[in-house]
Amino acid sequence: MNTKDGLMPVAQAADLIRAGKYLCIAGDEQALRQLPAGNWIGGTIPYFMTRDGGKISRDQVFVNEITGFSAPPTLRLYDSDALPQLCRNAPENGYTILIVPAFSDCHGSFAQNAPNYEDMYMKPVIGWIAGVHLDDLGKVTPKAVLGTTGEFSEQQSVAMDVPLPPNKFARIDIVNLFQPGSGDTITFSETGFAVTNCQINGKPTNLADYLIGNGTDTRLPLVADYCGAMVNVSIKGIDANARRVDFYAPVFPGLDYKIAAPVTDYVTSFQAALPRIESGMSFSCNCILNFLYSGLEGKRTANVTGPMTFGEIGYQLLNQTLVYLTVEG
Amino acid sequence: MKSEDLLRSVLEVEAPWQIVKVRDDLGKRQVDVWVAQQTGRSGWFFGSKATVPQDREQVWRHINLGGSRCLIHAVPAVMPGGQAPLWCGDGDLPFTRAMSRQIASMLLEGVKFQSICSILDVTVADLWKFKHSLDSGKAGLSSAPPPPPAAAAPSTRVPEADDPVWEKLLDGSTNIDIRVLSLKLLLTKLREQMRVITDAEVRVLKAYELQRYFLRYEQMLGHELGQLGR
Repeated sequence: MNTKDGLMPVAQAADLIRAGKYLCIAGDEQALRQLPAGNWIGGTIPYFMTRDGGKISRDQVFVNEITGFSAPPTLRLYDSDALPQLCRNAPENGYTILIVPAFSDCHGSFAQNAPNYEDMYMKPVIGWIAGVHLDDLGKVTPKAVLGTTGEFSEQQSVAMDVPLPPNKFARIDIVNLFQPGSGDTITFSETGFAVTNCQINGKPTNLADYLIGNGTDTRLPLVADYCGAMVNVSIKGIDANARRVDFYAPVFPGLDYKIAAPVTDYVTSFQAALPRIESGMSFSCNCILNFLYSGLEGKRTANVTGPMTFGEIGYQLLNQTLVYLTVEG
Repeated sequence: MKSEDLLRSVLEVEAPWQIVKVRDDLGKRQVDVWVAQQTGRSGWFFGSKATVPQDREQVWRHINLGGSRCLIHAVPAVMPGGQAPLWCGDGDLPFTRAMSRQIASMLLEGVKFQSICSILDVTVADLWKFKHSLDSGKAGLSSAPPPPPAAAAPSTRVPEADDPVWEKLLDGSTNIDIRVLSLKLLLTKLREQMRVITDAEVRVLKAYELQRYFLRYEQMLGHELGQLGR
């Protein structure tokens, strides 16, 4: 992390904007609305991991200063029709930070289609899903912000393309403490955020019935093995009457999912899992579900800081996962 | 903008080449365009003295102009940098470079041959001829510039695109320990696609796609490349 990065008063962030810095800012909507126009992108969220531990703040903002670029970064909004061009528009060498408002058309579209975007996985994309204070759910909407115009959008995503010099390259990685449990294998025939039917060990089954019948702890995500990367799909809720399970990210056909094994002590396990990163993290974010389920308020996760979000983007949408960016070379 | 300038712009014909003739009566919904090098006189659209030498003239299908097929008649051209213009074809390929890129992009998207023939109004024979050239490394595979021929490639640890190792990685018969997140996600996606793709030619395209990733990120794939037996 840049030494200037972190949670700070709005006035301090405003000074950085006025100084012409390129910034990625997370904060409650009312705090973000106090910031001047400038070279920044933002998203709404009041949950953070700071150097002092997990914190909820409505009047401070978390600022990441973007440095080391070879040319001025490009900032722009994407609607759901334009979003498939995200990687195509990205610099040949560099990375893109993307912020998507939760519950927007972009959110659903990105979650389901990002793996098939042109040049996806060829160009690094990191980011997060903007949210709201949980007390405000249903009252206010998550938003992405284009600082150059001051536009707040509940439907459009905002991106910052950061070109790097030829001798540098961006690398995105994740820390996911959840491993597939030893239970049944769950597969799906269709992509979707909501599921009724699935196959349990190859046998057609209603997933809601299965989870309820087994007394499954729904704080544990489904986990799929992507050639060694454990990718979570978090359970949003079970509608027993409709016999439907809703997720925070889509499940995909062709993958074997398992209910994750429990993580007993998130902070200790996190510190053990975090790799040694010599070049330092340029950007990172973690999931609000880890914040809530693991009781991270007031607890530190090593020196890793950033917003605690409604979803993480490490190329594609992830859940309950730390995502981080390093610039190497 | 004059209609002549518009056509020249659309076809991306730039000096020292110029459009010397256009006919729209040689085939149903077809526009034939002749391109030749300027002679040094005050050549201008249709007014030039330049002509296409008929003994060396080739004809390539270009990107459609609206609903009409477009055929370019010209002598194979090379720009000062050694690259052919987009309106020109390579060797005996049936398509211009621009059309080749469009078709390769569609193939990379998994569009079926029959659909490509239908959408672009090209013959199956021409499409297969083009695909064969892809297999032998003579044509590009994406909207990006085509890869350089092997002989001109810089020293690399990445196996050639037609090396069997890519097919083995893609069908899962070879597994390696992967440390790079983007490769884990990409390989998972490609393996899922390979499960349902039965067309051998399209499977070859997937191998190209994976090899292109390795070439791009060779610098940080030392651990993975070391397991490919090279």
